[in-house]
Amino acid sequence: MPVFRFMVCIVALLALSPRDVKAQTAEDGIMLSKLKYCTGVFYSYDYWDHYWEGSLNRVNGNIGTLSTRTVEYTGNFAVTDKLNLLATVPYVYTSASKGVLHGQSGFQDLALAAKYKLISVPVHGIGAVRAIVVLSGSLPMTDYTPDDLPLSIGSHGKHIAGRGTLNYLGRNGLYLNGSTEYSFRGNVHLDRPSYYTNGHLTLSDEVPLPNQFEYSVSAGYRKNDTTLTAGFSQQQTRGGGDIRQQDVPFVSNRTNYSKINATLTYPLPRVRDLQYWFLYSNTFDGRNVGQANTFTTGFLYTFDFSRRAGTR
Amino acid sequence: MNIQNSVKYTLLSTLSLAVLSIAAVGCGKSVPSTEALSPLTPASVDANAGAWKMIVLTGPTQIPVPAPVIKTDPGYLSELAQIKTAQASLTDTQKSAITFWSAGGVLRWNEYMRELAARQDLPPSPNPDGSYGVPSAANPFANPQYPFSNPPYAARAFSYVSVAQFEALKATWFYKYQYNRASPFKNDSSIQNLMPDSGIPSYPSEDAVESAVNAALLKLLFPTNAAEIDQKAAEQQQVALISGRASASDIAAGIALGNAVAAVFQARAGSDGMKAAGGNAAIWQQLADNAKARGEVPWLSQDGPPRPPMLPVFGSVKGWMLTPADFLAERPGPPPSTSSAQMATELTEVRTVVNNVTRDQLATVYKWADGASTSTPPGHWNMIAVPYIVSANMSEVRAARVFALLDMALHDSAIACWDAKYAYFSPRPSQLDPNIKVWTGLPNFPAYVSGHSDFSAAAADVLSYLFPSGAGYFNAQMQEAALSRLYAGIHYRSDIVVGMTHGQRIGEYTVRFAKTDGAN
Repeated sequence: MPVFRFMVCIVALLALSPRDVKAQTAEDGIMLSKLKYCTGVFYSYDYWDHYWEGSLNRVNGNIGTLSTRTVEYTGNFAVTDKLNLLATVPYVYTSASKGVLHGQSGFQDLALAAKYKLISVPVHGIGAVRAIVVLSGSLPMTDYTPDDLPLSIGSHGKHIAGRGTLNYLGRNGLYLNGSTEYSFRGNVHLDRPSYYTNGHLTLSDEVPLPNQFEYSVSAGYRKNDTTLTAGFSQQQTRGGGDIRQQDVPFVSNRTNYSKINATLTYPLPRVRDLQYWFLYSNTFDGRNVGQANTFTTGFLYTFDFSRRAGTR
Repeated sequence: MNIQNSVKYTLLSTLSLAVLSIAAVGCGKSVPSTEALSPLTPASVDANAGAWKMIVLTGPTQIPVPAPVIKTDPGYLSELAQIKTAQASLTDTQKSAITFWSAGGVLRWNEYMRELAARQDLPPSPNPDGSYGVPSAANPFANPQYPFSNPPYAARAFSYVSVAQFEALKATWFYKYQYNRASPFKNDSSIQNLMPDSGIPSYPSEDAVESAVNAALLKLLFPTNAAEIDQKAAEQQQVALISGRASASDIAAGIALGNAVAAVFQARAGSDGMKAAGGNAAIWQQLADNAKARGEVPWLSQDGPPRPPMLPVFGSVKGWMLTPADFLAERPGPPPSTSSAQMATELTEVRTVVNNVTRDQLATVYKWADGASTSTPPGHWNMIAVPYIVSANMSEVRAARVFALLDMALHDSAIACWDAKYAYFSPRPSQLDPNIKVWTGLPNFPAYVSGHSDFSAAAADVLSYLFPSGAGYFNAQMQEAALSRLYAGIHYRSDIVVGMTHGQRIGEYTVRFAKTDGAN
């Protein structure tokens, strides 16, 4: 597969925030080639001072700016050219700049994904279109609470998701990507015996989380391990209540957002197989989420086991 | 190739195992929002409940209930025919309503009352200029909505509903056994009995009394929910009829009795001091000045922007079992001075606890947070009482007694606690040490004594008297609720220790009444 002489790793931390647990969406259309292992660490800084209480955009004097810092290990192993396995392990810190609330921190959710290339169709020698499917899931690694939002580090839920991606990569570097995902979310448990949300008091510690639908499009340049793309993504939650006036958020709230994002990857000169990544995203519209800016930066290194196994 | 394959299969099987374990928990979305309760067959009919001591009414005959017509009266016979017609074409909605209400209206209304309290438990949002609106009973739908059902508000609301219901049911029982009219299904064998046969006479209908007294008071206390409240009351009345338990005249007499009792309590609620409980700017300033004059650091709101203190004159609201002189006599001594060595020691303890909190301690904090959008600590203690009432198979009037006694003690402890809070106006730990960050919402009122401790001790005291076998559990819950506030970093130990003994003393006033009310 000479098209992939320069392999690329998939780390889409575009949307990482405590209530938006999707550590690695694997949403791009690029595959890692056989028996390579791409791994690294990312640091992400997400902050907001405005948020949507239902559909009302406001500030909160008991929060000020809510900051979420994430350090994340990520790895992608290519079993074959068609099958990549991905894993991420995030450690999350939250804090509020005003008020008296204590921040939270800890290992959040282990995310695993299998990415499979269904088909690759050459386009008249100028590029190729690929169709890719991803099966992913996540589960909490620690006993953190989802009941201290917005300071909780996540929803403490399990989910499984299916994703489909269509991608065009031209030999001239033109990159076009469209991706969509549906996520099934399991029930979560609180430490209290009742809770009020969406108009009703429920006499249980168990909270059903509504499923989520997400799609994204992006376009840009990708060639010789260098990437510069810009994109748009949207998440819709298929149920759940709004944050009520002056109330705290609740784990099953209907969290919707629209984001723009940009991605830059750059291979370091003279250091073979080491790549620098920078990602930015901005939430410009939403419901029951922070109006967040997120900066993510990190390095990825690729090991090539195919050389050691002597198959290439 | 072998290496590749084994790596491939190991990874694949690991991944599929992980995905399967996630998928296994992803099923079963639905969580029922009401409690699953069995149909109630009371262990005793409590035929003498009409003679139990009244709390507010002068006696069971204060509200007269006329005698019913005889069972061969043409009017009554047409009422029976009406039931037969209704039973011939029951809808699924009606059948599930019968199942719902057959657990007992006292439990169902209590459950709904807690939902209303949680729904209305939202503090006003700040205005752009940093001020806060005040909920207005005269204009309940305005922003902020009336009421803000904070813990004292909820304690008082629960007590009005529960005491009124108890008084109304005692009067109901008096007339039931005076007139001894049997249920329609006993008077006409072609009428089915779709609820358990309690053997209790049907005139006036206890279901109708409950629906009327609950609806009237809940609409007064949670007026923005009036339409939903009326719908619930109508459903309970319809169930009484179509289940074969009560006829139209049983129900009409019950509604009239329930409304008449409710009117007594509506009048009391209008003049019990609650309207003045919010105070005014001059009172708020005076509280701070008083604390300064004693050489103490006065409490400051740490809400952003600063919010007026919650119900500073609630300590003057009328109690159930304590007179104003009793409340003053029970007021605890002052907290450690803000400049004392003991306060420094207690502050250090809070700092140490919040910075070394364990996950188990945090679970206790979250369990007992009972902050915004909850039924508050008084609602939490009503919830704790439910399984004990259920497993005792109590008659409706006896179940109503439990909630009345419990909620009177909770209301009295709210008054006594708020009296102490504003008598001393003591700062929270995070005010004296800004480095202390807390694990739950910081309540917007002074620290001493702890509301959770006071409420829980009063509730545990009353419930332990009513259900001696549960005393150990109630006491453990009280300790947990009280200490959760230390783990959260929002109370000093002395707030908690003094709050518990104080609440227990307040609870004893209700227990002393219960020992002599004729129901034992």
